[in-house]
Amino acid sequence: MATRTNPDSALAGLLPEGVDTERVLIHGGLIFSILLMGLPLILALIMSTQNTSEVYQVTNVGVGSQGLSNYETALTQYNFGQYIINSIVMSAIIVVGKVALSLFAALALVYYKLPYERAIFMFILLTLLLPVPVRIVPLFDLMSRLGWGNTIMAITGPYIASATAVFLFRQHFMAIPASLVENAHLDGVGPLTFLWEVLIPMSKGMIAGVSVITFIYSWNQYLWPLIIMTDQSKQVVQVGLRFIQGAAQSGLTQWGLIMAGAIIALLPPLVVLIVMHRPLLETLAIQQK
Amino acid sequence: MPEFTKPFDSKWQAAVLLLPTFVVLIAFLYYPGLETFRLSLQQTILLGAQKSFVGLENYRTLATSAAYHKSFAISVAFAAVVVVGTLAVSLFVSYLLFQVDVGASTYLIAAIWPYALPTAVAASVLLFLLHPSLGIITHYLELLTGLSLDWFTNGPQAFVIVAVVAIWKQLGYNIIFMVAALNNIPGTLTESAQLDGVGHLKMLYKVYVPLMSPTLVFLVIIDTIYAFFATFPLVDLMTSGGPDGATNLLIFKLYRDAFEFSNLGLASAESVVLFAVVAILMYVQLRISESRAHYGG
Amino acid sequence: MSNISIDGLTKKFDDVTAVDNIDLDIESEEFLVLVGPSGCGKSTTLRMIAGLESITTGDLRIGDRRVNDLPPKERGIAMVFQNYALYPHMTGAENMKFGMNSVSDYTDDEIDDRVEEAAEVLDILELLDRRPGELSGGERQRVAIGRALVREPEVFLLDEPLSNLDAKLRVQMRAELLQLHQELDATTLYVTHDQTEAMTLGDRVAVLNDGRIEQVDPPQVLYDYPETRFVAEFIGSPAMNIVPVDLEYDGDSVSAVHEAFELSLPNGDRFTDQPPAAAFGVRPEDVSLAVNAPADAQTFEAEVSVTEPLGESLLIHCYVGDDELHVKAEARSAISPGDTLELAVDEDRLHVFDDTGSAVYHSSVREEAASDTVYTTPEP
Repeated sequence: MATRTNPDSALAGLLPEGVDTERVLIHGGLIFSILLMGLPLILALIMSTQNTSEVYQVTNVGVGSQGLSNYETALTQYNFGQYIINSIVMSAIIVVGKVALSLFAALALVYYKLPYERAIFMFILLTLLLPVPVRIVPLFDLMSRLGWGNTIMAITGPYIASATAVFLFRQHFMAIPASLVENAHLDGVGPLTFLWEVLIPMSKGMIAGVSVITFIYSWNQYLWPLIIMTDQSKQVVQVGLRFIQGAAQSGLTQWGLIMAGAIIALLPPLVVLIVMHRPLLETLAIQQK
Repeated sequence: MPEFTKPFDSKWQAAVLLLPTFVVLIAFLYYPGLETFRLSLQQTILLGAQKSFVGLENYRTLATSAAYHKSFAISVAFAAVVVVGTLAVSLFVSYLLFQVDVGASTYLIAAIWPYALPTAVAASVLLFLLHPSLGIITHYLELLTGLSLDWFTNGPQAFVIVAVVAIWKQLGYNIIFMVAALNNIPGTLTESAQLDGVGHLKMLYKVYVPLMSPTLVFLVIIDTIYAFFATFPLVDLMTSGGPDGATNLLIFKLYRDAFEFSNLGLASAESVVLFAVVAILMYVQLRISESRAHYGG
Repeated sequence: MSNISIDGLTKKFDDVTAVDNIDLDIESEEFLVLVGPSGCGKSTTLRMIAGLESITTGDLRIGDRRVNDLPPKERGIAMVFQNYALYPHMTGAENMKFGMNSVSDYTDDEIDDRVEEAAEVLDILELLDRRPGELSGGERQRVAIGRALVREPEVFLLDEPLSNLDAKLRVQMRAELLQLHQELDATTLYVTHDQTEAMTLGDRVAVLNDGRIEQVDPPQVLYDYPETRFVAEFIGSPAMNIVPVDLEYDGDSVSAVHEAFELSLPNGDRFTDQPPAAAFGVRPEDVSLAVNAPADAQTFEAEVSVTEPLGESLLIHCYVGDDELHVKAEARSAISPGDTLELAVDEDRLHVFDDTGSAVYHSSVREEAASDTVYTTPEP
């Protein structure tokens, strides 16, 4: 972008000559915005090291005396170790299951001569109209009848098929050059070989992107696990945050401990986002269409 | 459609490939989705042990319930505040990200991370930091503004606080799409305006916003659905719908009617109303994106 | 190697007839080029032979088998695509091998040997370990051809294989393809829109237009004796001049009368029909300045509008009456726009087409031997 200096800016007089006022404003604005967005996290991180009395000194923003012991307490005494494992198992099953099922469905939709192909695709897409709250009562009822309450199936099954993932893989497959498909067609390559040796290697970025989106989405689930998992030891970490809110010591809420729990519940998706931001951004760019 | 002949024609293979997706969608989405409609015509008593057909009685109850009316109004207002707030802040940050010359990718990650922020984490952290008596942010806000923040008892304040948390969590997603949309605008379209010396604000509203309007429409829809459906943890952890119903969003009311008061028929009717909300939003999105596809705007 | 026999081949997409009742025989070991403008049905024909498109009606035989209903892998074909069709995540060797287990019964060791062999023939041994992204366009096309070679097919099908290459590389690859064909003597069907490629590569060339075959002949015959006006104008660059004339018949002597000239056409007995008006055709190189023509040649005048030096010759655009005529003159001829030229035509190279576009007259006799040219290429 072309940059223009605005000589009227009040900043101009304050800066050494040769420094572009506009650049300073842009960088300054960005740093300010990012700090503002990150401030709650930074404060939470600091206060997760404080003990209760330090927390109750409202303006105390020094690193507390607890070190990492709040984390240890959360992980052991407040079961966050278990919750984290439960969340990881749930998210992993949903990610792997959703990617696999959606790859199969997209393979059928794009590469098989199907009657009513459009209707089948619409049938899948229309489920976008049915988020969990729209079907929550019968779904709860169904899980009880299946005897799935408090099982991993209950918190993974409903999420394992997805219109969005099928849509994304279908878009991606259709963008693969026709001649690469026909090359395999001429040789009579079977569908699973084609999927495994051509489609999956050529869709690595998209698979990574869908996996990240799905992981972050499943990790964030709260309402459904809250309802269907009544056994606390099987609960996921987000709902764990609800339990830890009651943590109190001699009548004082242990906010340092709660902050430690919040940081624990945030870390896995945050790390995944930072490490995998590239495929995530590329995949989201396609999703909007 | 792709320009190739489909290589496989075995119908049963295709059926096997589609089967798992269909089983899940039918069992866990379509079947309970349709059941919701049926249940909404029933009244349940004794914790769901007995059911009786009552026709539209549940809808009549909703239509005449002052509490439901209030919850509905609050949800609409909440969605409006969240959508406008999210778009405004995201647009500001995105425009800066678009204009910045060095360090763009580092800034980008530093700005989009709330996409990974779980709603319950956002709620827990700000519940503490904005705590009326213990919150450090509350403390300095009160010093700066002279206001007295007491959102545990003050309804409008609680509404604003929950909305702020909802906006915070949704910024990452919006910034991702806005930056992508800005980067997709052909440079030549903006260069001439720049040569004419058009200022930043004017560029943003006269050039960039119109050009990224398809993305903005998409985000309005997504953010609205988010405000209606995904904000349950905020209410549950921060206010429990209070004080005095000021943050009693439809999703939270549905949860309590179903799982605290076991009024499954009524809750199902509330689900149907939420279905109508999502259906209307999706329809609007579809119509807008279709007209865009047709007229190339 | 097998021959291909096509009988009444037709392809309809909904209401559109893409290929309309084509008959064509490709001899064993022949290099036949299908040429035509885009949308003429040439690629659809090739794809029907490959098995990528179903055949609406007609018979397709490869060797002595009717293959209409066989899947591609049982037809004994290998195909090379315009965009190379290499998988970006596989090395050259992996690309050549991929699919071999499905299409053949070779063991992995045998496949490795064949890849090696093909790579030697094509001189691409050093490309085998590289991925397509690391290869130039010409190298990619060599790997793609290698991919076809490994399959040792009865028939090679090539779909515009050189169209993605730059001009210089295209000429080079053309020569290499010819050489390869001479080494392998494989039955080859080659689709292109480029008439130069068609002329230089084909033992015979089939010209397609609008889903129909206009003419199938060896290149020189096609050039010298176009059976239709379409072929006359499509083959040869710059294209043949066509001007409307009235024809006057007086026994065996026929005159072509144009507003700006009158030519008596030699060998008037060769007219197969006697339309009163027709299209008169003569190639730019068969029109010359009268000063260079024999003294008794019939001449006419034309006014120069534009001159284009082509290097080895000078292309003159001029007007006879209201019709434009292109003339290839000697390079460096001192001619400028506005000049009036005295022109003569080579009376052995005149053509007349009736209003259906069929040739009714060529001034020289088509030597029948020419059309019976043996299709195998000369011994190297």
